Amino acid sequence: MDPLSVQHIEKGKNQLIMVVLLSISTFLLAIYALGQGSSSNLDMWTTAKILFGIDDPSDLQSDIIWKLRFPRILIAVIGGVALATAGSLMQGCLANPLVSPLTLGVASGAALGAALAIVLGITIVDVPNLGIVVNAFLFSLIVVYIIIQLGNLRSISAESYILVGIAITFITGAIVSTMQYFATDAQLSQLTHWSFGSLSRPELIDVLWIGVVVIGLMPQAIRWSWDLNALTLGGDDFAISTGVDPSVIRRNILVLSALMTSVVIAFTGLIGFVGLAAPHMARQIVGNDFRKLIPCSAVFGAFLMLFADTLGRTLFAPIVIPVGIMLSVIGGPFFMYLLLKDKGGKS
Amino acid sequence: MNLFLEVNDVSFNWGENDVLKNLNLEIGENELVSLLGVNGAGKSTLLKCLNRILTPELGEIRALSKNINEMDLIQLSKIMSYVPQSVRSSFTMDVFDVVLLGRRPHINWMISNEDRDKVSNTLRFLNLEDFAFRRFNELSGGERQRVIIAKAIAQDPSIFLLDEPTSDLDLKSQIEIMKKLKELISNPESPKSALVAIHDINIAARFSDRILLLHEGKILASGKPFEVLTAENIATVFGVSSSIEWWNDSYIRVMIEDEIKEKD
Repeated sequence: MDPLSVQHIEKGKNQLIMVVLLSISTFLLAIYALGQGSSSNLDMWTTAKILFGIDDPSDLQSDIIWKLRFPRILIAVIGGVALATAGSLMQGCLANPLVSPLTLGVASGAALGAALAIVLGITIVDVPNLGIVVNAFLFSLIVVYIIIQLGNLRSISAESYILVGIAITFITGAIVSTMQYFATDAQLSQLTHWSFGSLSRPELIDVLWIGVVVIGLMPQAIRWSWDLNALTLGGDDFAISTGVDPSVIRRNILVLSALMTSVVIAFTGLIGFVGLAAPHMARQIVGNDFRKLIPCSAVFGAFLMLFADTLGRTLFAPIVIPVGIMLSVIGGPFFMYLLLKDKGGKS
Repeated sequence: MNLFLEVNDVSFNWGENDVLKNLNLEIGENELVSLLGVNGAGKSTLLKCLNRILTPELGEIRALSKNINEMDLIQLSKIMSYVPQSVRSSFTMDVFDVVLLGRRPHINWMISNEDRDKVSNTLRFLNLEDFAFRRFNELSGGERQRVIIAKAIAQDPSIFLLDEPTSDLDLKSQIEIMKKLKELISNPESPKSALVAIHDINIAARFSDRILLLHEGKILASGKPFEVLTAENIATVFGVSSSIEWWNDSYIRVMIEDEIKEKD
């Protein structure tokens, strides 16, 4: 084989090793996080033995780990994977490194749905908490659908989608603000709390459903990585000459990322930062080849969410700081450091 | 001679502005054809119509005797590769991975060692092996242009469409790239052809099998360089008065005398 080809394979292997190491770290962090909390702290070894059935835990330990913390750790991992994957897909298909999964109206749609349920009591499913979840999920998809249709009317360019997305976000934001203005204190508090983004809300069965959706969508996301490579590198003309239809792939990817994002934030509330930062962190290791970037972003997303949530649960225990806030507090400066340390713009 | 590319009565307009008017042309195998014309004459528009980046209002385009509208983009990109004037992005990749994108129409998802070797050979062919693991956006404009040409070659098409492929290159690199393209196109064992939009008359005369002069949306003249690049045609197309000398029918010296005043 040509020495250049060998060098290419070796570089890929080194990057794979880094991703595997990051995955192992995430797994270890998950075990550590399972043992940590405001009620009782267990060391990693004890937690691992309980987790893998080596030790018989007390009823209290079993309840804390399996019923209280396990769903939370699982949604941190699955949510991190989903939001980071959606972030890398959106940044790729809109060829814009500033885009996050919430840029294109998913967040504003979800907030509108939640506000309708909480303030006006307008829900598609008439069950108190489930009503908010279903509303947030459906309205985020409806808003993305409207944006895609309006974007298509203008042109099929990435800029059109972003501009229409910003306009729709302002409109839905105004509607939500109006509802907040007329809301009672209790409704306002519930809506504000929803918008913080917290991993404590989903039950285990919810988490499993979210997991099925996210795992089901992941292979398709990875399958489009060649198309994303062509789109991000040279724009629409370059993509067409490489056999990629930019309008079709952009629409499909927007729908898939919206699904991945809304299925998570409908349950957790707004968590935005991980979708912006995780892909950038992954780029530091694997570059911008989406065949590697999507899986690496997913692992980084899981790690970030776990890390932020664990810190939020333990730092001021028994007070729990919502993960959305923790992510911005820790991730913001770290993200800024990553961007500034590459003066040449490695991304 | 087999026809690789046939353009029949193609018209294209940008709003009120008719850019291509019932344009006809044919390109055969092992032919390197240069397309000359003033800025805004429609050279880039024509190349984009040929690669389905733009859709003409009227007319038919056939590649390897098949209507390009009846192919999907993957099929088309196996037949044609297009080199845009410039490529610039907020994201970047290693040069090796950029050239590897040329293999995309031929593979599903996994890269084979043959694909990697094809990329390696292409990089060597264009003397780019030292750049293989440098980041694309960190290269100079000329280096990037050579990498995009390498991507087009790795795509292994029958027809190359190149939009000013030497515009960012220094003199030596211009000659090297055109020599390499000529070497590829004239290889009888692997029939290929190229349509190159270009401004440099010397380069076009030196390396083209045929030259097309695009003027007012139509092909004004088509033929061997010494047949087409006449003082009269240059005056008509570029509005410049000149006298011309030829050596061996492929080396041209154009001496500009004056700008012709527009006719009333």
